[in-house]
Amino acid sequence: MGKIRVEGLKKNFGANEVLKGIDVKVEEGEVVCVIGPSGSGKSTFLRCMNRLEEISAGKVIVDDQDINDPKTNINKVRENIGMVFQHFNLFPHFNVLKNIMFAPMELGKQSEKEARTAALRLLEQVGLSDKADAFPSQLSGGQKQRVAIARALAMNPDIMLFDEPTSALDPEMVGEVLGVMNDLAREGMTMMIVTHEMGFAREVADRVIFMDGGYIVEEGTPEEVFGNPKHERTISFLDKVLKA
Amino acid sequence: MKILRTLLFTMAFMLLITGIPLGMEHAGAEASQGKVYQIGTDITFAPFEFQDTSGKYVGIDMDLLDAIAKEQNFQYVVKPLGFNAAVQALESKQVDGVIAGMSITDERKQKFDFSDPYFDSGVIMAVRSDNTDITGYEDLKGKKVAVKTGTEGYTFAQSIASKYGFTVVPFDDSSLMYEDVKSGNSVACFEDYPVLAYVAKTKDDLKLVGDKEKGASYGFAVGKGQNQELLEKFNAGLKDLKASGEYDRIKSKYLAENNTGTEQKQGRLELIIDSIPPLLEGLGKTLIYTLVSLFFAFIFGLIFGFMKVSRSKWMRGIATVFVDLFRGIPLLVLALFIYFGIPQALGFKMPLFLAAILTLSLNAGAYVTEIIRGGIESIDRGQMEAARSLGLPYRKAMIKIIIPQAIRVMIPSFINQLVITLKDTSILSAIGLVELTQSGKIIIARTFASFDIWLVVAIMYLVVITILTKISNRLERKVQRG
Repeated sequence: MGKIRVEGLKKNFGANEVLKGIDVKVEEGEVVCVIGPSGSGKSTFLRCMNRLEEISAGKVIVDDQDINDPKTNINKVRENIGMVFQHFNLFPHFNVLKNIMFAPMELGKQSEKEARTAALRLLEQVGLSDKADAFPSQLSGGQKQRVAIARALAMNPDIMLFDEPTSALDPEMVGEVLGVMNDLAREGMTMMIVTHEMGFAREVADRVIFMDGGYIVEEGTPEEVFGNPKHERTISFLDKVLKA
Repeated sequence: MKILRTLLFTMAFMLLITGIPLGMEHAGAEASQGKVYQIGTDITFAPFEFQDTSGKYVGIDMDLLDAIAKEQNFQYVVKPLGFNAAVQALESKQVDGVIAGMSITDERKQKFDFSDPYFDSGVIMAVRSDNTDITGYEDLKGKKVAVKTGTEGYTFAQSIASKYGFTVVPFDDSSLMYEDVKSGNSVACFEDYPVLAYVAKTKDDLKLVGDKEKGASYGFAVGKGQNQELLEKFNAGLKDLKASGEYDRIKSKYLAENNTGTEQKQGRLELIIDSIPPLLEGLGKTLIYTLVSLFFAFIFGLIFGFMKVSRSKWMRGIATVFVDLFRGIPLLVLALFIYFGIPQALGFKMPLFLAAILTLSLNAGAYVTEIIRGGIESIDRGQMEAARSLGLPYRKAMIKIIIPQAIRVMIPSFINQLVITLKDTSILSAIGLVELTQSGKIIIARTFASFDIWLVVAIMYLVVITILTKISNRLERKVQRG
């Protein structure tokens, strides 16, 4: 079965083929970290998981639904897949609370009262109870990203996608965001994380996927990939990032 | 779909409330018996047509027309369009007849049918009253001479320009021509004898020089083969008025010896105070036309703006054509094309208010389209992606997330467009729309007080635009904070 199944996924932008045939299966509750050099296609791959990118060939099956099938209601599928972006993408014209309450209310999932209670609980979970009335422009990067995680969680998704969630943060703020993600992983959330944080991947991931040049080069447990990489490109990549 | 329907309803409603009062002004007498003839005339061509202090059109043409209409029992509405616009309006059948001190020429006879001549004119030269250098055509060598386009004076001046070595400077209306002579830019002007005689007698600024050149006669014109019954009535009425002595009475009212004119000499301040009510009325028109046009421009902008950011190539193409077309045509050309061109080609009458609003709203609509497109495209892609990834449909994401942010970006441009459109209404004076600028022209035509009136007009524009800008800025701050 598998929560997410990817079969023969290809994606090109014009003549440029970014994903050249990818097969992956993610089980329920599994935490998968995707690593690799920039330009390897890892972000594009993640964005195909909720159809932010239209795929060129292959299949992406989430909860037994082919998400690229025209008959599939993609909005329903997306309600179940939270996404966190590198640049947060908070709604600047809403305050923190409204950012979190907005989607569940707008889509008729919760009444205003329910949404407010849920939002306040989520803010507590990410450690930002005191920021409910603040606007995004008043927050630090780390705080923004934690609000963005709370916003995605407000829809009660089964799956969370993280697209380089700490890449735009000052180093001292990385920890607070990874902490929240770590908690989530421990609670059993199915997660796919594109990241450059090797330490975090090693600690949290059930499985690590190394991508390069539009292919999955190597995958396995963190011990296998980090401790005993088999492929030459994996070795040279890890060599570079771990030395830095 | 619901939005579209609401828009359509509002549009129809606005047309209704704006259309009724604007349309009425030309149709006042239509309810009573028979056809109401639309008669085009000049805005100012004293002593044939000009506004008196109460704003009523008087003069030889106006009094004659009034007397003939009473005698022959027909109804008419006078449309003071300006001479060139009136002639074009007759050609494009926007009006039924033109009486505007128009000389009967062979060229004009090709397009129009003329009545019996009702006035024998001729061209004469005038100079500033303190000018003693110019005593004849020979003295014009190397100088500039002002004329009014399309007049006999213009033709005459052209015909002798190279012989006497002067340059002809054409103007669109008489008052500007006089101004040019008064200010000394041109040393002399050529104009129909009765006109200059009237001006020289009622004002101290100009004096006549030399003898009148024998010229053509003035006639009332209808379109070739059109409105023959009106022409017959005019001829019959004219004959009767001449027989009864009424004709001479009218003529002498404006041209008698030692005529002090219908105009009383006014002090400057008095003149300015008197000019304010009609100018305010013009200002009101300017504002109404601005706001109504902007309303429709906004609708055009919304439709084409969203087409421009749409995912369909066709939609984008149509919107691009719209923008390129109406941004690429100068406003004046667009106004002339819509008011004179289209009706002539398709053979129908276009109400002035419709032409004016269409012109302004199409032009502003093209700009608003670009403002809306730019506003939407200025919002980071990530906003749409974040909204969509939460499960929001495209339309909902657009309305709740993208547009509220885009509007904040657009507001300064909208305020800018408001100011531009408000100023652009003045261009529509070219098709005879009596807004603020045109109201100013009309008063100057009567009073020749260029400086004072243009000053008042300029101040009015400034004050209104400043107030509107302040209100808009306050609104903007509110939105930005909100």
